[in-house]
Amino acid sequence: MADETFLSDDLLRQLMSVGEVDLLVGILAHRSANTVRRAAHYVEKSLQQNFVRQRVAIISVDGGAVEDSGSDEHSGDGEPGNNSNSKGITSLRTIHRVTAAFSGAPSPGLALRTILSASDLLRARACAVVSPATSSTSPEWVANLLRPAFRDSFDFVAPLYSRHKFQGLLARNLLYPMTRALFGRRIRELYSDEWAFSNQLGNFCLNEDMWHEEPIRSRPEAWMGISALTSDYRCCQVYLGEKPPPPDGAGPDLVEVLRQTVGSLFWLLETHQPWWLERKGSEALPTFGPDHAVTAEPMELNRARMFEMFQTGVKELEPILESILSPQTLESIQGIATLDQHSFRFPAELWVTMLYEFAASYHHSVINRDHLVQALVPLYRGKIYSFLEEYADTSATEMEAVSENLCLEFERQKPYLMEKWKAGVEVKS
Amino acid sequence: MALQEDNLWYKDAVIYQLHVRTFCDSNGDGIGDFVGLTQRLDYLQELGTNTIWLLPFYPSPLRDDGYDIADYTTVHPSYGTLDDFKAFLNAAHNRGLRVLIEMVMNHTSDQHPWFQEARSSRDNPKRDWYVWSDTDTKYKGVRIIFIDTELSNWTWDPVSKSYYWHRFFNHQPDLNFDNPDVFEAMWEIMRFWLDMGVDGFRLDAVPYLVEREGTSCENLPETHAVIKEVRKRLDQFYPGRMLLAEANQWPADVRAYFGDGDEFHTAFHFPLMPRMFMAVKLEDRKPIIEILDQTPPIPENCQWCIFLRNHDELTLEMVTDVERDYMYDEYATDKTMRINLGIRRRLAPMMENDRRRIELLNGLLMSMPGTPIVYYGDEIGMGDNIYLGDRNGVRTPMQWNGGTNAGFSFADPERLYSPLISNSVYGYQVVNVDSQRRFSHSLLSWMKALIKTRNSYRVFSRGTMEFLRPSNHRVLAYIRELGNEKILVVNNLSSSAQAVELDVQRYKGYIPIEMFGRNLFPRFGDLPYLLTLGPYQFYWFRLRRI
Repeated sequence: MADETFLSDDLLRQLMSVGEVDLLVGILAHRSANTVRRAAHYVEKSLQQNFVRQRVAIISVDGGAVEDSGSDEHSGDGEPGNNSNSKGITSLRTIHRVTAAFSGAPSPGLALRTILSASDLLRARACAVVSPATSSTSPEWVANLLRPAFRDSFDFVAPLYSRHKFQGLLARNLLYPMTRALFGRRIRELYSDEWAFSNQLGNFCLNEDMWHEEPIRSRPEAWMGISALTSDYRCCQVYLGEKPPPPDGAGPDLVEVLRQTVGSLFWLLETHQPWWLERKGSEALPTFGPDHAVTAEPMELNRARMFEMFQTGVKELEPILESILSPQTLESIQGIATLDQHSFRFPAELWVTMLYEFAASYHHSVINRDHLVQALVPLYRGKIYSFLEEYADTSATEMEAVSENLCLEFERQKPYLMEKWKAGVEVKS
Repeated sequence: MALQEDNLWYKDAVIYQLHVRTFCDSNGDGIGDFVGLTQRLDYLQELGTNTIWLLPFYPSPLRDDGYDIADYTTVHPSYGTLDDFKAFLNAAHNRGLRVLIEMVMNHTSDQHPWFQEARSSRDNPKRDWYVWSDTDTKYKGVRIIFIDTELSNWTWDPVSKSYYWHRFFNHQPDLNFDNPDVFEAMWEIMRFWLDMGVDGFRLDAVPYLVEREGTSCENLPETHAVIKEVRKRLDQFYPGRMLLAEANQWPADVRAYFGDGDEFHTAFHFPLMPRMFMAVKLEDRKPIIEILDQTPPIPENCQWCIFLRNHDELTLEMVTDVERDYMYDEYATDKTMRINLGIRRRLAPMMENDRRRIELLNGLLMSMPGTPIVYYGDEIGMGDNIYLGDRNGVRTPMQWNGGTNAGFSFADPERLYSPLISNSVYGYQVVNVDSQRRFSHSLLSWMKALIKTRNSYRVFSRGTMEFLRPSNHRVLAYIRELGNEKILVVNNLSSSAQAVELDVQRYKGYIPIEMFGRNLFPRFGDLPYLLTLGPYQFYWFRLRRI
């Protein structure tokens, strides 16, 4: 059950007015009332068109100044729907907009917990979480996410995007193949800004006493997805389309991104080890919509700078890397760090071995875990530089084969991780 | 009780709609008649209604339940004589009951002497009283109203070897109002009844009086010109008589039929009706508020007529496709219940015989702006028979008691014009006037109390309406106001208990007095007013400032 004391009186009052719903859409806002309002408008249109008879509500979770807190009843903007003789009648039902305001910027974990609480109190059968940016540009995504949860009884619905071959590099080179190999499910976008879930899964997560954990506070969607996978909930993916790139300068830097994602992944390995240690191989998830597509539009990155940071990092972090990596792995990395830019390659096999050693070291807390993850940053840069150079002329289709080979390498080396994981290790101060 | 002299009496009316055939049979032929109806006038007076609207009782082949008229100036022999009608009319007036009758201006039966003459030859003087064409291609694209039975608005006449125009059944040819003789003939007919003393007419199918190429043939300026002329003559020669428009259109289009207060006195608010049913099923006030928000103001001397059910199907013409599908899925799951673009069921079965919902809908009917119309039998919760043809399932004999033929007739049951409703839920043995008269908690008793309360306060019939819009969308709340009189109406449209906070701070200091029990409720103060309501419960509060 939702802990009502966690929710503000104002939010509870708003929820009381809403009553029971079939669908809830949560918008994780970013201190911009205008952005939220626009996003809510598009979400509402999508709901009006795709879930005509269902009882729906939209909840915006925001921190800082919010211009219009309080329940805001909407039934459309007066634009005629796609009904004949609509006479300005846009929908059958009232669509409620609820705002959960916080005095400071809420963490994603807090925001999700608020949405889960609202979903529980409103007894929503299915819930989707969307970001203001994508819900404004692609409102049909909301419907695509909700359908499997609402109509087909899936508990967790992950998105699937059409990506440029050099987009989503972290997911392609690390998060996806590692999650797939270890948790045994081919879920491509575990770390995303939009996903959907059933009320059963929502209640399960809401009742977990783990909301204070940093990985959940920063990237709750991954925890939710892994919880679904490991608790035998039905999971699927749904194709949404081309993911818009973040606005220039928006979003955290690479260090923070790795802390949130890789740190979260390592923590999930920690908390779910009985489950993944038993798994072998990987299975596909039911996928709705066209296959994951890779586009070929160019994307600019400062490769020279990346390589330079890789070399510098390997050199300056040697004492730390000695604690984390095996001597052979460190020697291999130091070896490739001496190559010139044009001949440099970071082999897949080495990359996987290195990551697994990082994971095992995280498990054994050989050093401060946060520092451990940060130490990965320059190595990641090196891998990405190598990737960009090696596959500069690769077609979108060929890139899929490359990714698949990397995934298989992760799966092949899983026994190595298991061996390192279970072994005792000397903790260095 | 003499009729009060008031040219705006129709604003305060509570209308009872019935067909004389259905009400009471005095001579044992199985068909209701005016003598029988006269015998039952006390019942209508007791109920609290003050106006009777009679469905067509003219001579007719009865292929459209009397709306196919073969003679406008007498009474169908099955229902009695003209003298019987006059006696009924006098008896009604003596009880303070006004009488509205039907006037079908748009078309006649094909058995009417006018049409028989018109079709006899192209040279006949009455030829031009109807709309003829050598082809069926004129007025292309005009919608067909009876889509279940008619394929075209034109029908070939083998007698005169040409096509005639009909917006309804093919045996109901449209009159041609471009011919002044037609208008004068209709006016003479109306005078006939007005001289007798009828209080007004429901003009059937008025949007379709005139046709013009390249239009929808509905709501044309020429049609309004006809109505204006009728109204002008009515006001001049028969002040205080009323015209009620049957114009199944969107509110903005019906508005035109009020003119500048110089066309119809009243008009049905068709689009509101299905939305009341929709709101209860959706448990959401949105459909009601939306349609009333787009209902334009009408002249001071005009009034909407509102209703829940009537003799026709519950029309779904004036709803969106999405709304229509919803209504069908929720209220007419069995396709036998559907006819044309509507649902041929009575109120009680549509409410699944849920007394609370029946009360709620009647509460809405009696408290919203407009003159309410009660369809005969709905005050006792009569059921329907969807297996009778056309819309006859909602036109079964009135159920007076649990005895032979429900007290409707002493004829052999097989002779009745229609079978009685006799199932275990709505059958006459269970649902009838006599049994409900015995108990103060019966639906009939409750309806009497409701109508009495409504009649006690003119604010319901003549007051303004302002929606309160609490954040709980399951609650429909509004203030009715007339002069110093204020009434707060709060309706829970949902099947579960609800709490609602009403923004009534501007009425701070007022004491709400619940109007049925006359109990005081806490005074309005500075904060939103919290009310809780049980499933489908409603309150009427009179606001007193002392």
